Amino acid sequence: MIREAAIRFEGARVVYPNGAVGLASVDLSIAPGEFVVVVGSSGAGKSTLLRAVNGLTPLSAGSVAVQGQPVPRSEGRALRRLRAQVGMIFQDFRITRRLTVMTNVLVGRVAHVPAWRAMLNLWPAADREIAFRALERVGITDKAWVRAGDLSGGQQQRVGIARALAQEPAIILADEPVASLDPVTTHQIMRDLVRINQELGITTVVNLHFLDLARRYGQRIVGLRNGEVVYDGRAESVTQEDFRHIYGRDPDAGDVLDGQAAR
Amino acid sequence: MSDAVTRPLRPARNWALIIGAVTAVTLMTWWSGRGIRFSLTELACNLPGGRRLLVESWPPEFSFFPRLLAPLLETLQIAVVGTVIGGILAVPVAVLAARNLTPGFLVWFVDRNFMNILRTLPDLFWAMLFAAAVGFGPIAGALALTVFTVAVISKLWSESLEAIDMGVPEAVRASGGSWLQMLQFGAIPQALPHYVSYALYAFELNVRASMILGLVGAGGIGMVLETQRSTFEYPRVTLIVLSVLVIVLIIEQVSESIRRRLI
Amino acid sequence: MTPGTTLQPPAGIGWATRVTLVIAFTFLICAWAIDLTPAALANLPRQMAMVLSFFYPADMDYGWSRVLPALLESIHIAWIGTIIGAAISLPLALLGARTLFPRIARLVKLISATARAFPEILLAIYFVPIVGLGAFAGALAIGISSVGMLTKLGAEVVESIDMGPVEAVQAAGGSRLLALRYAVVPQVLPEIVAHWLFRFELNIRASAVLGVVGAGGVGGVLLNTLRYRHFEKAAAVLLLTIVVVLIIDMMSGAIRRRLLR
Repeated sequence: MIREAAIRFEGARVVYPNGAVGLASVDLSIAPGEFVVVVGSSGAGKSTLLRAVNGLTPLSAGSVAVQGQPVPRSEGRALRRLRAQVGMIFQDFRITRRLTVMTNVLVGRVAHVPAWRAMLNLWPAADREIAFRALERVGITDKAWVRAGDLSGGQQQRVGIARALAQEPAIILADEPVASLDPVTTHQIMRDLVRINQELGITTVVNLHFLDLARRYGQRIVGLRNGEVVYDGRAESVTQEDFRHIYGRDPDAGDVLDGQAAR
Repeated sequence: MSDAVTRPLRPARNWALIIGAVTAVTLMTWWSGRGIRFSLTELACNLPGGRRLLVESWPPEFSFFPRLLAPLLETLQIAVVGTVIGGILAVPVAVLAARNLTPGFLVWFVDRNFMNILRTLPDLFWAMLFAAAVGFGPIAGALALTVFTVAVISKLWSESLEAIDMGVPEAVRASGGSWLQMLQFGAIPQALPHYVSYALYAFELNVRASMILGLVGAGGIGMVLETQRSTFEYPRVTLIVLSVLVIVLIIEQVSESIRRRLI
Repeated sequence: MTPGTTLQPPAGIGWATRVTLVIAFTFLICAWAIDLTPAALANLPRQMAMVLSFFYPADMDYGWSRVLPALLESIHIAWIGTIIGAAISLPLALLGARTLFPRIARLVKLISATARAFPEILLAIYFVPIVGLGAFAGALAIGISSVGMLTKLGAEVVESIDMGPVEAVQAAGGSRLLALRYAVVPQVLPEIVAHWLFRFELNIRASAVLGVVGAGGVGGVLLNTLRYRHFEKAAAVLLLTIVVVLIIDMMSGAIRRRLLR
């Protein structure tokens, strides 16, 4: 390996306070610019894996490093500086519905401007420019001054993506970004993520439940089962047998998006 | 998809509203500050004497406690009588003020305004009025709390009655039931738990209120408080305040735990 | 209904009847103890009618010259009390939210419960000798009990919000303070301001009473007019109080409805 890995897990283990094991022991290395899709049934540890990268869920043992920097285990300045380089997109969008789209996107700049400016909502012109460009990239520039809560689900997720882009991150983590969207919007959002990965070269890790989406949009697929990596390979070479292994059962109509749409 | 959408201008804020609201609040605060005649010099004059009084008021004069027992008991009796009579009278007031149950617009209109006017006067005003009408003593207090209870329960319960499912009441009417039968079998049973809860809540408020009714001669512990206060027997005042607090807290705890089980 | 089923009475009925009987019995004992006999009750309408007849006509000259200024003072007391309550309770409401500050929240809730336990008028009894007879003592008393109630209600609003955006701000590298600024405050502010307004409505009533212990406002005027049996003047107090409180309730209610829309 010549270049530093964007994300590297070594013996990463997460045990929750209630005793549940989130990650059993994960070794995984993701190269800069890769587009990785993580699949697995619910409870397999997909979310935990992503949340370990930006320290939202601290590891119990082992280590995870972002661009060679180990992720601190406790809240503080060091962790905030690391999070500034890692954008996150959530299943439920997690935008503040009563604020304008613009303000929600500017939240992506919080770690890049002096705290007092962020506190007083006085953003430098350069940061406003970055926020506008992020909105342009997801195609909702015209909604900049609309209340975020007044947008449709797909548009709200675009606000979430724009907020992540406004961070000018090295890595984007997307935790089930399309799980609360309809099939048409789902494909649009997935295409947006792939395009951003290709145009800006941002390393992207996406958790998905649907197998057909994973195969269609992923370059590399990582399969998780019971907190362990049980599959890691190119998206085009993944077989039905591999999916059976990842899920521990035969994939059914509920595991494919088009199967859902057909019903 | 070639060129970017033009960036919309930030819509002008409603400065008239913002400036108007800020000015109004500032002016009102300035005017009120003058209105309450806050003056540092007067404060400085009073502080030494006040401090002495405060120091004197601790410890409370516990030997005075036996003389509080009868008035404390009377206070609770006033609260019980006021709550029961008021609780019964509140039923028709609430029913007639519920838009879905009232027999006619005129009745509703009169009753609703009657209810609102009852609510404008504080409990102690009613106590003063009844003390003037029937003479100093616990009966005046019980009557004042009766009015206060009607005001509290009818307002809250009429809202619960408006929220009931009208299916059963309409079925009772359709099968030839009278208006009263509709209430008895269709409407009231649905909102009965709310009624009990509000009655208990009113009882809590009444216990609290009954403790101070005596300040204007309407019976109970407040009458003792008033004599001790006006002769500056603050060690006794402290004892009274403490016993009032203990009783109020006990009643509230018991009542709250019952209410929590009801709804 | 199939012929085999018999209708069982609901299990709660025996229990409910018993509770009703206990309440009725307690009521009768209490009524007897405070001398509220049927005879006294029967006498009541006549007494009330007589006093009410003294109330007419209301002495509006007295109303404009003496009652209105006292009412204004009550409004001033209520306003300052509400401002004190709002300013102090806003940070306390955030700190008192279990979901944001699990450890500090318990302490804050204890403080707010203590402040709520004292009726305003008991607080005023202590403030009057300390800061002097008058409206300032009343404003302090109202302020403290407003802090207690607004902190409790505000913390409940904060605890009910969607915590997702809070995590999102932190995931973007924002501090806890910035998460409050961009994810918590925008979600809770309209509801909290509505609580302030509602508290102002209640504070008007509370401050009207404080004059009874010398803490300013219209209560002292009513007490004096009734004590000296100047019923036409008392009528002016009641009339003006009802009108002013109704007007303030309507204005405040209209603003609250707009806020929560």
